[in-house]
Amino acid sequence: MTTSDAPSEVKPRRWRIGSLEFLIIGLIALVIGQRWIVPAFDNPALQTASTIFVSIVVQAMPFLVGGVLLSGAVTAFVPASVWQRVLPKNRALAVPVSGCAGMLLPGCECASVPVAGSLVSQGVPSSSALTFLLAAPAINPIVLVSTFVAFPGEPALVLARFVASLATAILVGWIWLRFGQDSWMRMASRLHLVGNTKFETFRRTAAHDFLHAGGFLVLGAAIAAFINVIIPAEWMQSVADNPVLAIGFMALLAIVLSICSEADAFVASSFTQFSLTSKLVFMVVGPMVDIKLVAMQTGIFGKSFAVRFAPLTLLVAVSMSLIVGGVLLT
Amino acid sequence: MTREVQAVILVLVGSAIIRITIDDTYLNYVKEVMQPWLLVTGGALIALGVWAIIDVFRRGDNSEDSDHAHHGPRSAWLLLLPVLAIFLVAPPALGAFAAARDLTNSSPTVAVAPPLPPGDPVEVYVSDYINRAVWDAGLTLDGRTMEVTGFVVPNPDGGWWLTRMSLSCCAADAFAGKIQIVDAPPGWENPPTDTWTVVTGTWVAGGGTNSDTAIPLLSAQEIIEIEQPVNPYD
Repeated sequence: MTTSDAPSEVKPRRWRIGSLEFLIIGLIALVIGQRWIVPAFDNPALQTASTIFVSIVVQAMPFLVGGVLLSGAVTAFVPASVWQRVLPKNRALAVPVSGCAGMLLPGCECASVPVAGSLVSQGVPSSSALTFLLAAPAINPIVLVSTFVAFPGEPALVLARFVASLATAILVGWIWLRFGQDSWMRMASRLHLVGNTKFETFRRTAAHDFLHAGGFLVLGAAIAAFINVIIPAEWMQSVADNPVLAIGFMALLAIVLSICSEADAFVASSFTQFSLTSKLVFMVVGPMVDIKLVAMQTGIFGKSFAVRFAPLTLLVAVSMSLIVGGVLLT
Repeated sequence: MTREVQAVILVLVGSAIIRITIDDTYLNYVKEVMQPWLLVTGGALIALGVWAIIDVFRRGDNSEDSDHAHHGPRSAWLLLLPVLAIFLVAPPALGAFAAARDLTNSSPTVAVAPPLPPGDPVEVYVSDYINRAVWDAGLTLDGRTMEVTGFVVPNPDGGWWLTRMSLSCCAADAFAGKIQIVDAPPGWENPPTDTWTVVTGTWVAGGGTNSDTAIPLLSAQEIIEIEQPVNPYD
């Protein structure tokens, strides 16, 4: 693993305009300029986009913060040897075990990215950590219950979601084990996060993960908000009538909307004109591949990882949904 | 990004979350059940930030201290965007623009609707009204006088819809419920878009049933303009 956050070249103090001064000057400028900035947002489309942007960020924050606190706790308080004892030595066997372990993390995808990051840095094989990363947000009890509530009268859909998501996570884990290279993961060195005390390590890891994943969450939320406002609503009606187009569209929508896995079932169910299988695609793809998530994966694992991992996951997720949907939903 | 700035960003994000939670603007973005979680989240972020600031002071401001993460991620600057949006712009609750983008009006409801609670007039939510009118043929609405709260969205084909958005989770997945107002009293034929109102009236047939695009009708007896409710969503 290489280091992107090289420890600062030891230079003498360089107090030109540092980031703290930049922050203070910027904030003062914005407060003074508020009277000119606010009227610029007096446009219904821009207002709607900014509302959706803030709402995605606010909705995701508790899950993200929960995730980084957990990741900090795992790093600081769980000795790395525990993972060696819990996981089967055989890496191929460890993949399905970690997939099922995903049921134990009742969070959404924002929480699982930092947790998976800290697992990798603790020496858990990347294939297992990635399977966990994919499975946890899709098959935990909260998500399954919310799916059940969102689709009254369609219990088969809950089962289909569980099976397709777990199968995708395990399959991607095995493919990664066989063909993946850890050198694609450019994780920032976590050595500087080790403090003098365990609490110090906890604080640094949690803050580090929050600042890394949080910035990308914001980016994903902004993109999703603007696309939400830009796509003409009339397009959807005509798309739903074509089965192939409908599936492609729902997969794309899952990627673009970046909705929390705990909420996506309600969104899927609101697309009344779409087929059940296309909704299944939406719910399997969404927690594993979406703009916000890929952005967060880039933040934690690096770009050369994300450009390989996201398309692979998308391909497997869509195939699995079609197979499982074909068996269970017809 | 220095450790100081990282700490300040943590505190700013935490304070922004606390601020919208205690002044109820969070209800423009997410559901009420999130309130305790938002308080805990904001508190945790402020605590992490303050802890980091204390650490900076305790160790002195020595940049040559090589073991600290001097380079925070540049992407973390983006975390200031939602903070600025909350403090400077304060995005409003979704209104007519978002409502007009939603082409469906309801989803099939399987359960048979129970009778409305007693009361004359009885308060009914927009989504409840639509479900009873469209998926239960208006049986439980017939003969009752009701009070329905929503905002004005002009109907391109004439008149206006009494509208309220519902959230499944947050404003990103909001969907609109619309009721066509008929027999509007004088002065209420074409009210300004996004005006919040309470409409007192009775159900009339004719909006269509068992279709997710059907928009039921409400014959208005009285319409009052109100402030936006604390919780703008159904």
